[in-house]
Amino acid sequence: MYPFKQLTKISLILGLGSLVLISSCSKSFLDEPVRNQTPEDFFSNPDAPAQLVTAVYSQLYEWQQHSFSWIGITSIADDDADKGSDPGDSGTDKDQLDKFTFTSSSLSFTEIWESNFKGIARANQALYYLPQFNNISAGVKNRYIAEVKFLRAYYYWNLVRSFGGVPKVTKAIVTQEDIANANVRASAEEIYNFIRQDLTEAMAVLPASYGTDDQGRATSGACIGLLAKVALYQKDWASAKNYSEQLITSGRYALTSDFAGMFKEAGEFNSESIWEVNCKGTDPNKGISGYFVVQAPRGAGGLGWGFNTPSQRLVDAFEPGDIRKAATIITSGQVLWDGFQTNAAAPNKYYNYKCYVSKTMETFNGNDNETNKNLRVLRLGEMYLIHAEAANELGDTAAARKSLNEIRKRAGLAASNALAISDIRDAVYKERRVEMAMEHDRLFDLRRTGRAGAVLRAAGIPFVDNRHELYPIPQRQIDLSGGKLTQNPGY
Amino acid sequence: MLFVFGSLFAQQKVIKGTVSDSKDGSRLPGVRVTLKGTKKEAATDAKGQFSISYQEGESNALLFSYIGYKKEEVAINGQSNLEVKLKESNVSLNDVVVIGYGTAKKKELTGVSARIQAKEIATLPMLTATQAIQGKAAGVQIIAAGEPGGKPNVRIRGTGSILGGVDPLYVVDGILTDDITNINSSDIVSIDVLKDAAATAIYGVRASNGVIMITTKSGTKGKLSVNYDSYYGLKQLVNKVEMAGPGLFAKYSNEAAGTMAIKAEDITGSTDWMDEITRIGTIQSHSLSMNGGGEKNTYFVSLGYFKEEGILKGNDYQRISIRANNDVTISNKLKVGHTLSYAYNFGNNKPFSLFTDAYNAAPIYNAKNADGTYGSTTTSNVGNPLAKLEYTNDVSWGHRLQGTLWGEYKVWKNISFRTNFGMDGGFNYARNYAPVFLVDVNQRNDRSQLSLYRADNYRWVWDNYFNYTETFKGKHDINISVGHTAERQDGKWMRGSKKDIPAQEQYWDFSFGDPTSHVLQSGNQNIYGRRESYFARAIYTFAGKYNINATVRRDGASKFPVANRWGTFPSLGLGWFVHNEEFMSNQNLFNTLKLRASWGKIGNDNISPGQFVTQFGTGLSAAFGPNIATGAIPDQIIDPNLKWETTTQSNVGIEFSMFNGKVTGEIDAYMKETQGALYLVALPGVAGDRDNVYTTNAATISNKGLEISLGYNGTLKKDFNYTIRGNMSFNQNLVTDVGQGKALDYGSLDNGYTATRVINGQPIGAFWVYQTNGIFQSESEIDAHPHLVGTQPGDKKIVDTNGDGKIDNKDRIYVGSYQPKFFFGLNTAAYYKNFDLSMVIQGNAGNKVFNGKKTVRYGGNYNVEYDVAMERWTPTNPSTTNPRAYNGVPVPSDYFVESGTYIRLNTITLGYTLPEKLVKKWTIARFRTYLSAQNMYTWKKFSGFSPELPGAPYEAGIEKSIYPTSATYMLGVNVTF
Repeated sequence: MYPFKQLTKISLILGLGSLVLISSCSKSFLDEPVRNQTPEDFFSNPDAPAQLVTAVYSQLYEWQQHSFSWIGITSIADDDADKGSDPGDSGTDKDQLDKFTFTSSSLSFTEIWESNFKGIARANQALYYLPQFNNISAGVKNRYIAEVKFLRAYYYWNLVRSFGGVPKVTKAIVTQEDIANANVRASAEEIYNFIRQDLTEAMAVLPASYGTDDQGRATSGACIGLLAKVALYQKDWASAKNYSEQLITSGRYALTSDFAGMFKEAGEFNSESIWEVNCKGTDPNKGISGYFVVQAPRGAGGLGWGFNTPSQRLVDAFEPGDIRKAATIITSGQVLWDGFQTNAAAPNKYYNYKCYVSKTMETFNGNDNETNKNLRVLRLGEMYLIHAEAANELGDTAAARKSLNEIRKRAGLAASNALAISDIRDAVYKERRVEMAMEHDRLFDLRRTGRAGAVLRAAGIPFVDNRHELYPIPQRQIDLSGGKLTQNPGY
Repeated sequence: MLFVFGSLFAQQKVIKGTVSDSKDGSRLPGVRVTLKGTKKEAATDAKGQFSISYQEGESNALLFSYIGYKKEEVAINGQSNLEVKLKESNVSLNDVVVIGYGTAKKKELTGVSARIQAKEIATLPMLTATQAIQGKAAGVQIIAAGEPGGKPNVRIRGTGSILGGVDPLYVVDGILTDDITNINSSDIVSIDVLKDAAATAIYGVRASNGVIMITTKSGTKGKLSVNYDSYYGLKQLVNKVEMAGPGLFAKYSNEAAGTMAIKAEDITGSTDWMDEITRIGTIQSHSLSMNGGGEKNTYFVSLGYFKEEGILKGNDYQRISIRANNDVTISNKLKVGHTLSYAYNFGNNKPFSLFTDAYNAAPIYNAKNADGTYGSTTTSNVGNPLAKLEYTNDVSWGHRLQGTLWGEYKVWKNISFRTNFGMDGGFNYARNYAPVFLVDVNQRNDRSQLSLYRADNYRWVWDNYFNYTETFKGKHDINISVGHTAERQDGKWMRGSKKDIPAQEQYWDFSFGDPTSHVLQSGNQNIYGRRESYFARAIYTFAGKYNINATVRRDGASKFPVANRWGTFPSLGLGWFVHNEEFMSNQNLFNTLKLRASWGKIGNDNISPGQFVTQFGTGLSAAFGPNIATGAIPDQIIDPNLKWETTTQSNVGIEFSMFNGKVTGEIDAYMKETQGALYLVALPGVAGDRDNVYTTNAATISNKGLEISLGYNGTLKKDFNYTIRGNMSFNQNLVTDVGQGKALDYGSLDNGYTATRVINGQPIGAFWVYQTNGIFQSESEIDAHPHLVGTQPGDKKIVDTNGDGKIDNKDRIYVGSYQPKFFFGLNTAAYYKNFDLSMVIQGNAGNKVFNGKKTVRYGGNYNVEYDVAMERWTPTNPSTTNPRAYNGVPVPSDYFVESGTYIRLNTITLGYTLPEKLVKKWTIARFRTYLSAQNMYTWKKFSGFSPELPGAPYEAGIEKSIYPTSATYMLGVNVTF
């Protein structure tokens, strides 16, 4: 016989005991608060709007944004700069960029694509949240919104010059569906118009200048300057001429006579500066990661990796007496402005002087990865050249020559004697080359003017027409989009 | 007449004796001695002695029973003193096994578990007990760590996750933890490794990777027993890779660069860097323990000291551990007790990258010049490794307090209630001082910097459960447990650094230095969380023949979103004890034969908390004017429905013993499928996500395998016993589905390339490399084949596997992974009189290793292996297997993938126990001394330093900065007073 009585008693005890155990812990025991800040909490922080905007600026300092890859695709790839470093050192894909043997799998394209889209994503997030704050004044709020729009335009500007038409993402992406919808390329035209729209809206709101504590933020002048350049690329000569003229005649900016000094720490935010990425060389450092080290002279007694070396062709392009040559080119073996003795036996003959940071006479605290070196993005000198080119294309050769010669005068050169439109055009192109040397401009400039093929092939770089006018969309991005992104022709 | 008197007045007699182990003669305390046919019993004391009184004629024999030994029946035959020897029983089904939340007899269990006894691990020169079980348990792969203070990787039945944790759960006296470096191996009674679902499912969502249960010693009734175990050993680097000397190095580098970059005058010395940075290390351990007790309480107290000086100069680790375990019987219904341990560790750390630096550094200059300054060279950008070593000042230390408090109350008849509260707290510190120094222009530090770090963490767990065991009608055995457990953990850290701190150690705190350089950060350790669970287990055995084992556990964890917070994990095991069937009673082949099968669901919740809520990227700073502004913004795409990974495991097996226990064996076949494994789904760049991936439950992983364990106990002649135990494990690991995710690339080689991939149809961390097929001998040959830009004669031919005419990532193939297809262990022991000799051999086969050191070359004149340099391709030595001298960054190819197969003589020990008569004089019960060698010999195919490469599963097996294995030669003693 089964001991039913015993079993019942046992089950009762076990059952009751279990019930006691189950109810002994309160229901909310598992409700541990999550420690990453969630949006609801974020709104009550009075500093929140400023932090959102700062985060959008923050992407500018990233390695993938403005450092090795950017240097590679904007400078090493053209005829005025070579890879540099030791012959066997590929820099992962910099040898491919130098010789135009890159493919859609090359690392630099992925970095530029991803980094700029991160900047855009942050901008979209900021633009989503900023209007919702009501603990700051409308004026400050609108200024923040305008700053973010400028930055979004800048990130798209990098993308459209590199890849042509790219996905136009105008709102924050949250769900997988958002991503799928976003992964479709807009045309280059659409992107350019979107950039201009952002800049125009921002221009109306941003102040013309800031106090010392806000140096580096976008100004209305920055918007106008970028608009001028964007118009130039779109061959909208009228707009380009008007915008550049606005800045030239604004009274706020002036060409500096000390060309070399413009790129030193003392020359930051000088009269010619329109917009710079502001960097700090004291603890805690905030600099463009690796920008200096990547390009600094290499080898024994050197300071860095020695990439992006000026080519002999660039050195030869300067006219005699041009003060810009000494400010742009370091010749191995020379003594630099602060007394630093470069090594004559360095692996490369020339190095980039515009990126040089003096460890002895400028702010330097041992951190050579993040230095005080500001990245000069827009300056008045370029505005003169934009003005000259645009005016010339419109037929106003007099205005063109005037602007051109202002630049030449500053460079210590005699006035140009070009008279015909085509001559002036060539003169302006030539002037751009030496004025903007090593400033991440040359390759894009050659492409937009249709000269890239001829010039690069003459320099021994196998530029293939109908392919190399744009860089390839990173293959991985095409794969991740499930094929919705289409590749550029020829790749 | 006398005879009548004898039976009328039954004489009171006393029989005494000693019970000892038949093999090594050690006395056995706590043996139960029963007067056959009566209820009278006694227990042997610490010296193995017993005494039992009986009435003449009451019984004619004594029964001796003891856990782990065969029962003995000894006839009394009028004797008053018995010397009883008990033989170890490897399949003692009456063994009481520690299972989660309770105990059970081995004969009731269908779960698969492996038990390792204390004496097998206590005498091995290792910091953690888990390293000592290498080669001893089927299905358990241990990847040893070489450095002092290091923790091994443990994989039970394959790798079950990609991003979630893959280490098993450790349960130490009921406390759940993942770090057992604080436990003195001499304090451990046994380690039980739970492998299949029936055994592990009681731990629900923590159990996916297996469970290792560790029980520490408790006191035994009887007189005070004192044990002293000590060993001291020397360690030496083994398997040193021979590098090129100065002349060969210069020749190779110049050939690679194509110029006379290194000239005769650059060679200022000759240095073997590996010799410069290594030394003969030492290892020692001393443990003193005392235990004893009376009727009402027993105690166990121990003190231990462990020190290891690693083979890397200046690198050492010390641990002091103190333990006190007490059990108190308050009444016949109530027992309470506690375990308490404190461990203090202190380590002098040196970066493992020094081994890589020593490998890469140019051998052409002296480590130290005659004037005491460090040597340097301009021909290589690898700094002087000796200088780097000697300028490193990095120490870490910590305290860990761990303990449990428990109470057991007999509620009614066979129902008892147990409450177990465990606490585990750690307080860790680190200090690093980088001094000002100048070796040369590239190797220097211009400003001193002091970094201080501290971190605290704690965990508490509270179990409450009922146990009920009953046997009805002698045929129905029931064992039920029902309970609840709650757990909480948290941790914080703080770190600071400051520059320009003076060089003398007494000034190394933040009251000195440059105030503008002071950086302070703090945060939480991302382990915070709470868990709550309910569990129940029922074991039913019918007539000792048929057994059912069912468990269910319901787990909730705070780290998951509310909608996914709770999960249920059931398991079912079935067992058939065939040897108890009638039809088996006539056969003589099997003593025991058990068939078992089990199925269950277990989980893995080892992910960072809070991953399902919108995450803000913080610290996103920018500089405005002279100031830094910090930014924060949502910058991650998250999965709001994140949950744990679930593993479904089935097992079928057979366990048997034959020839009177001479032969024992266990064979199990299992299948594990992990679903919803956490996976990083790559996001397109347009999403602008912080790291372009988002974590979601997307992948499925499968592990299938077979475990075979066989053992043999033999006796050659009198006094000569031996045992041989071998285990073999086969496991096949595959990623079977990555959902909508794409392949994940891992295994960064620090040179821009990656070497492993997680993808469908391949094991986790499969090596994904270019295929090579010989060497290009001439320019024309190169032009005739698709090739990478810059290929020259003497370079490896890379196969265009997809035939599209170009060499790119699409041509890469999968060549295996670090996970072994097969691993085995062989444990042999022989006993002859007072000598004992044991050996453990262990090895792996079918796994691959990637020689990371060979691939990381940056064009900076790195050194190269002697063999590689001597056998390189040159126009006069047109090798077809070895490439030319090359200093650029090579693409990852199968040239660097080597076989990871190895067989190692893990341990060989020769021991001698002094004769009893001799040691009795000094009141010593037992004195054993032994010589032991660890890792004395490894047979391997891998050309690098060590085929054992602990690391994350998706990039395991890449030898980069690995601490090489060392061999240890030691002398030890075990003394029992």
